[in-house]
Amino acid sequence: MEFERIDNLPTDTIAGFRVRPGKPLPFGVSSVPGGLNFSVYTSAGTSCTLVVYSRSEQVALGEIRVPDHYRIGDVYSIVVYGLDYEDVEYGFRIDGPFAPEEGHRFNVDNILMDPYARVLSGRDEWGVEPDWSKAYQYRSRVAFDDFDWEGDSPLEINDADLVVYEMHVRSFTQSDSSGVKFKGTYAGITEKIPYLKSLGINAVELMPIFEFDEFENSRIHPDTGERLYNYWGYSTVAFFAPKAGFAASGKFGMQVDEFKQLVKELHKAGIEVILDVVFNHTAEGNERGPSISFKGLDNKIYYMLTPDGYYFNFSGTGNTLNCNNPVVRNLVLDCLRYWASEYHIDGFRFDLASILGRDPWGAPLSNPPLLESLAFDPILSSCKLIAEAWDAGGLYQVGTFPAFGRWSEWNGKYRDTARKYLKGDEAQVGEMAQRVQGSPDLYEWNGRSPATSINFITCHDGFTLADLVSFNNKHNEANGENNCDGGDDNHSWNCGAEGWTEDIGVRSLRTRQSMNALSILMTSRGTPMLLMGDEFGRSQHGNNNAYCIDSPISWVDWTLLDNNKQLFDLTQALIHFRHKHPCLRVNSFSHSGGGGMPSCSFHGRTPWQVDWSAESRQLAWLMTCDDAAHGQMDAVYVATNMAHYATWFDLPGLPEGYSWSLCFNTGDSVSPHMNNPAPFNENGILVGERSVVIFNASPRET
Amino acid sequence: MQVALQQFKDWQVIKVTGQVDSKTVGDLRDFIDTQLQQGHPVALELTEVPFMSSAGLRTLLTLQRKTKDMGVDLALIGVAEEIADTMKVTGFYQFFTIYDSLELIPNS
Repeated sequence: MEFERIDNLPTDTIAGFRVRPGKPLPFGVSSVPGGLNFSVYTSAGTSCTLVVYSRSEQVALGEIRVPDHYRIGDVYSIVVYGLDYEDVEYGFRIDGPFAPEEGHRFNVDNILMDPYARVLSGRDEWGVEPDWSKAYQYRSRVAFDDFDWEGDSPLEINDADLVVYEMHVRSFTQSDSSGVKFKGTYAGITEKIPYLKSLGINAVELMPIFEFDEFENSRIHPDTGERLYNYWGYSTVAFFAPKAGFAASGKFGMQVDEFKQLVKELHKAGIEVILDVVFNHTAEGNERGPSISFKGLDNKIYYMLTPDGYYFNFSGTGNTLNCNNPVVRNLVLDCLRYWASEYHIDGFRFDLASILGRDPWGAPLSNPPLLESLAFDPILSSCKLIAEAWDAGGLYQVGTFPAFGRWSEWNGKYRDTARKYLKGDEAQVGEMAQRVQGSPDLYEWNGRSPATSINFITCHDGFTLADLVSFNNKHNEANGENNCDGGDDNHSWNCGAEGWTEDIGVRSLRTRQSMNALSILMTSRGTPMLLMGDEFGRSQHGNNNAYCIDSPISWVDWTLLDNNKQLFDLTQALIHFRHKHPCLRVNSFSHSGGGGMPSCSFHGRTPWQVDWSAESRQLAWLMTCDDAAHGQMDAVYVATNMAHYATWFDLPGLPEGYSWSLCFNTGDSVSPHMNNPAPFNENGILVGERSVVIFNASPRET
Repeated sequence: MQVALQQFKDWQVIKVTGQVDSKTVGDLRDFIDTQLQQGHPVALELTEVPFMSSAGLRTLLTLQRKTKDMGVDLALIGVAEEIADTMKVTGFYQFFTIYDSLELIPNS
């Protein structure tokens, strides 16, 4: 028989609301029969009042002071009956000392957002200026966690088999040229899935989609009068809530469903979803910033503070989340578990991840508990964990990030080396050889594998690929900071003219250099990552830090897809080539190769001999493995000539029964990739100036 | 919001008038629970519904499950464009068969 629970009934009435003592876990709000359970933690607070609103109303429905006997330890919890699940918005007033020098910043007049809020209102539509006079700006709401996934689950594609595509939700489809109905939104990406699928990528990495406020530090450009935003969103307001302003349905509060629908449809297309997550700091800034949630709940717990109560600033943005405090660590864990289980997210890329390895006083830890917890978490066990392995406080950990056998890294050294090699810098051949084989110099010593390395040449930070080959210097005037923001170490080369030019020679060299970059990227071991639009020459007109720009400068211009069709076709062909050739995706430094040849070997103008000298600008690599699925050997030979003159390369010999076929030649301006590669009967090839050729070994027809 | 049961050929038509949101959706749900008969397909007439909140859309899914269990067809009629857009971007749309009017139901 079924028992009716007797703990489903109210025990008290407070401020006209029927209530009973709640359950301390889970934190945040959860549904119980007939009511909602609210739970919030504060270690130094002295009282807690739950404030409830009807949607968008300025006057509260009521304020429910949580009785002290409802508190267990440092957690206040209460069940409130009869609230309208969909309509209710809530926040907390926490009383306690205001003593900044001791780290406390309580203010009972302030209404605080629930740090576990799963839906937020107050920034429902992108770019609609908020009414700053409202006392409670970012309002916690209740999520319906009832999406119909129809059997979907995370894809669990092997790291080494991924081709990642980094994108900004709004930039991807906001331009009219995108041709989508729901521009600049999650749904807009859903509309573009056929495009992503045809390109061949199998993971998208979304720049921040946790609730942020595009109006944070928003300002008007002094010269142009344009509004500048917190456009990229590397400043989290609510860690558990997807950004409503990125949802076509955000004004109806349905961003949760819309984002889940995007994930579900991407999964159906075989594309994983990786989120760029920002746990190093929050939108609350320093002592001059707003008190949104953590500051008023338990400032001293959540932030790294100096002995006199100021904010440490290892993030370069005002404050630093105190991630190795056990309470904060659990919040991060709860958050990622929620996204992995409730949203089926496949992986996370951690912004300025090195901060997560600092102790509460900022010193780097050798075994950071947070990074270890994430690495061994049962729910996150098949999620990709990707570190941006440096921070703004000077910690640079590419190759030494505490990985616990799990973490991979944005390989900044790959980017820098590839860029330098591409433009023909001296003395790059040796390091390029390391990068191409998955950076064993960085990752082999500690037992990691090539896919630890996320290889990239461009990302949201810095030049797009088209700009990398069109500008020697950044041109960030649109950012309104007198071109002082953004990095200066771009290792870029404009190919003979700065910016836009009519010079046909310069233009064709730029196209070739873009093709060279993509060719090297897609034939390197490790996990390649492409920046949105680079496959058809997206430009930001030399802006290498468009973090505040919401305009055609930062939006993808889809007309370029037609104009630069050849570059798109080549990128697409390269990605498909990579998927087809397992030898490019070998994920072991001790792999023994195929066909009696080493797994990865290097060559020069003469096979098996490389000119490693500083003057050398030629490098070729041969990758092999046994392709058990097809019962044959798989081999790819790539020859790169970054000199300004053509160079003859003799081809390495192949085992009996195989011959080389030329698949790509960026020096061939008419057809840089061959649709039907035929056996190549020469024993060598003249590789044009600044060009790349790619061969594969095919069984000889008998 | 008002709900009424009508008849169109073999179809039992739930005619809804007014906004469907968390304040009114309970009435619709009660109606669905008590008024539907076995053996006849169900049409939900929404021509006079200007707005549906998240809770309203969820009730559509409840109805979809219920008619599936009953083994009868379900059709939505006259869904406003804005509601249809919200249903599309959130994935609700794909679970339904939708017609502009009752007369457009094939073989009806």
